[in-house]
Amino acid sequence: MSNTHEILKGVRILSFTTGYAGPYAGRLLASYGAEVIKIESRKGGLDTFRHYGQHKDIDAAPRFVECNLGVRSMAINLKHPIGTRLIKELAGKSDAVLQNFRPRVLDKLGLGDDELRRANPKLVIVKLPGFGTEGPKSSYGTWGFNLTAFSGITYLWNHPEQDRPIGSQGVYPDHLGFVMGPTLVVAALLNSRRTGRGVTVDLAQIEGTAAVLGATYLETSVNGDDPQPKGNHYGWAAPHGCYRCQGEDRWCVISVRTEDEWQNFCNVMGCTTLLNDERFINLQLRLKYRAQLDAIVQDWTQGRTAEEIMTQCQRAGVPASVVQTGADLLRDVQLRHRNYFASFEDSLIGPFEIPRSGFLFKGMTEGPLNLPNRFGSDNSQILGEILGYDKATIAQWQDEEVLT
Amino acid sequence: MSITTEATSLLPGYRVLDLSSSMGAFCGKLLRDLGMDVIKVEPPGGDSGRNEPPFAKGHFHREGSLRFAYLNAGKRSITLDITKEAGRKLLLELVARSDIVLETFEPGYLGKHNLGYETLVEKNNKLILVSLTGFGQDGPYANYKAPDIVGNAMGALLYISGDPTMTPCNPPETQSYYYASLFAAYGAMLSLWQRETRGIGAWIDASVQASMALHEHVAFNYSAEGRVMKRAGSQHQHNAPANLFQCKNGWIALFVTQNHWPILLKVWDGHDPALDDPKWINSNLRRANADYINAQVTSFTSRFMKEDLAELMQKNGIPGLPVNSPSDFMRDPHIQARGFFSAVTHPVLGSFLQPGNCFMVDGKRTGPSPAPLVGQHNREIFHSELGLEKSEMESLVANGII
Repeated sequence: MSNTHEILKGVRILSFTTGYAGPYAGRLLASYGAEVIKIESRKGGLDTFRHYGQHKDIDAAPRFVECNLGVRSMAINLKHPIGTRLIKELAGKSDAVLQNFRPRVLDKLGLGDDELRRANPKLVIVKLPGFGTEGPKSSYGTWGFNLTAFSGITYLWNHPEQDRPIGSQGVYPDHLGFVMGPTLVVAALLNSRRTGRGVTVDLAQIEGTAAVLGATYLETSVNGDDPQPKGNHYGWAAPHGCYRCQGEDRWCVISVRTEDEWQNFCNVMGCTTLLNDERFINLQLRLKYRAQLDAIVQDWTQGRTAEEIMTQCQRAGVPASVVQTGADLLRDVQLRHRNYFASFEDSLIGPFEIPRSGFLFKGMTEGPLNLPNRFGSDNSQILGEILGYDKATIAQWQDEEVLT
Repeated sequence: MSITTEATSLLPGYRVLDLSSSMGAFCGKLLRDLGMDVIKVEPPGGDSGRNEPPFAKGHFHREGSLRFAYLNAGKRSITLDITKEAGRKLLLELVARSDIVLETFEPGYLGKHNLGYETLVEKNNKLILVSLTGFGQDGPYANYKAPDIVGNAMGALLYISGDPTMTPCNPPETQSYYYASLFAAYGAMLSLWQRETRGIGAWIDASVQASMALHEHVAFNYSAEGRVMKRAGSQHQHNAPANLFQCKNGWIALFVTQNHWPILLKVWDGHDPALDDPKWINSNLRRANADYINAQVTSFTSRFMKEDLAELMQKNGIPGLPVNSPSDFMRDPHIQARGFFSAVTHPVLGSFLQPGNCFMVDGKRTGPSPAPLVGQHNREIFHSELGLEKSEMESLVANGII
């Protein structure tokens, strides 16, 4: 059986990335066999996630490990002329460049698109800047958290009765970028394979984020509405929401749309009298009286476990599930069935398990997921075997602070 | 910077048969945005996604769903009852002329109608089948139903979303479907690369739950550190001030790291001198005292309009951005200058602004196209391409096949 690690075998990608979206995009390419070489420098060019956590060892920050699995590491000082020369030489031996620096950081170092492509006309360049390369705010600093706010998602991600915006504690735009990024890298590689010419693809993360709010923008542009938070309400199902269950902070979700689902749900609840209740005889009415309906459902769920509600409802064809926690994920029988977690017995951060990917290749075995290589540990191999430099030259550059 | 409605296609010449419902519609849209010819295969009467809100005002019919209009922009539409033999045969003819089939039926549905992977591959041995379902093609939950909220709940994003004193809060629109569609599209790209380099097809088994369950380090945090992430409102888990702060006309999202903290104090006239204590440079300490820090910062932010404060912050290198409503976003000068939105003309809904491609190729953006009407391209595909005669088409219509 073939192995998913063979898919991108032979594809070499230079990664100038920091934080979450860019490095994780590199990880997702490395997971399928691409040789991803991350370029960093102690001279002001370390991935910021190396400093997250309590550990002094820059290779032992859990966030960094998570986002850089399978990635090789080179230490090259880009402020040294030999450093930039080496990057151009590497670009000549690579297929793609992935970067999420602010616009023009690489250009100022003499590593703009034209310079890199002079070394390799087929080179694909994919950029993930927060606000894009062009435009009045392109120099703005962005994080997943404030991009969520800027797009309108934070404003809408809330219960209608809440008196202030909440949104999320997380960085949803990074998650969008780190899947769109590798998708665009492979698409651009397919393109350059056919045309013999590399392209530059620019994914502004703010626009990648806005791409998942498209229907809402159309409500604004077509209807002239200013959409407001809906919480767990959805205009095409009722009951539809999140309900408290037995146990501390335990919840389930239930979503009933069709008449069959409604009948089956009433049967599961043991409340067949509801089927004749005039307030609930079709979806329009169930939507209208959803507050009363939610109270009935909540009354039923609170004395039961979320697990039994999921099992009973789903067996009866009613969409429902546990609201899972991190602990639930690790013991989820479906995820385990998919061999979803890669397991590391031993690492700089101790043993851990970590999600692999949203999809499987049917009939192929999952390729290995490796730990990130230690900072700078691939210098000798790459400079020696790929660029053909001898040990003495490499040692000299080490002394001259080119490789640091 | 220029916006072009002429497709700057990365991948012209590939064809996708999109049999998906709204779960996978965004995957089909992304493949279209990459330049592929995406044919939406709808059951006669139309895809169920056409019934999904929101609707254009006065258009509560199958051409009026704005969700459908966005998710299916630029695709072509044919109608075909693939559960009937004549429809099945036509589908297989199209499969032979396609590169990718995208579907979101419950596991086993295609096989039951004699259209399983093996049957499709007989017609096209390099076919890429992209199957997206709630939980995957097999396993204990494979037949569980998964509307969007179930995807968010089973992937654990829902549990950590919202105010800790309130019910977990689902994100706007159908984010688990959007997100799983991204993974499905990445799977399609890898499969295409594999096909071009090794000459083989593939079957992608994408799962909404598996796509969501890698969010926000939730699983990793528990596994590596034994920590169960909880709802925390808008408060970031590692940093403070990293939250939403009240302004005169709304709110601002601020994210102030160790490096930004001294700059913030410099800009912040009249701050409490106690904050000048160098101990506060430590992000962990600020996070541990987030309530105190946040209250102090609010006394500063509440003096400003959100846009003015964002500009002041950015001028000083601090990543602050306003909390926009969707219409604030659409009006923003930066977004307008980049031409993210441009006008489309929909045959029923008229002209309106719609997002174009979310990426640019060599500095050019492909603008938006309207979604197809139900079966708008039946003639083009069944007659012009597959060569069905007018009478054959009429009989297929009469028999409810198209």
